[in-house]
Amino acid sequence: MNGQEMALVLCGIIALYAALRVVLEKNTMRKLPFLNVLSFAVSGSIVLIIPHPLAIVAAAAYFVGSTLESNAIASTWAGGPKDE
Amino acid sequence: MNELMSVIFAAIILVGTFATIFSKDPFDKLICLGIVVGGIMPFFADRGLLDILVATALIAPLSTIFILMAMRRLRHDT
Repeated sequence: MNGQEMALVLCGIIALYAALRVVLEKNTMRKLPFLNVLSFAVSGSIVLIIPHPLAIVAAAAYFVGSTLESNAIASTWAGGPKDE
Repeated sequence: MNELMSVIFAAIILVGTFATIFSKDPFDKLICLGIVVGGIMPFFADRGLLDILVATALIAPLSTIFILMAMRRLRHDT
């Protein structure tokens, strides 16, 4: 097992741990940082899995999309803008 | 991607799916749906489907935002 495979396995273990922490957490707002950790680990493993020049574009698209999703959930949970 | 990584990401997908089914709060359901979307991305990358990966990564948060808009409308009416 060379260094790249070891980094990939480490990213997978971090992703699985973050998924279990999201599921086992009771508070809704405490779930969102672990969802972000899952997104970081999955973005890293996308880049490590496929050696292609467009892999960085795909990982950046997934990173931006998941961050936008977490922000949308947190903003709606907090109540949104007050002046409606 | 070797067999160990396939097992790990399949476990992430299954954990997210059953957490989506068995959670009560709608926000918890959306967060666990994010786990499922995160789990399927390495399988796309393993087959080399980078265009489908980019499309899925951009469409899934849009669908989450639409569901959030519907939830806000429902909560505003009641």
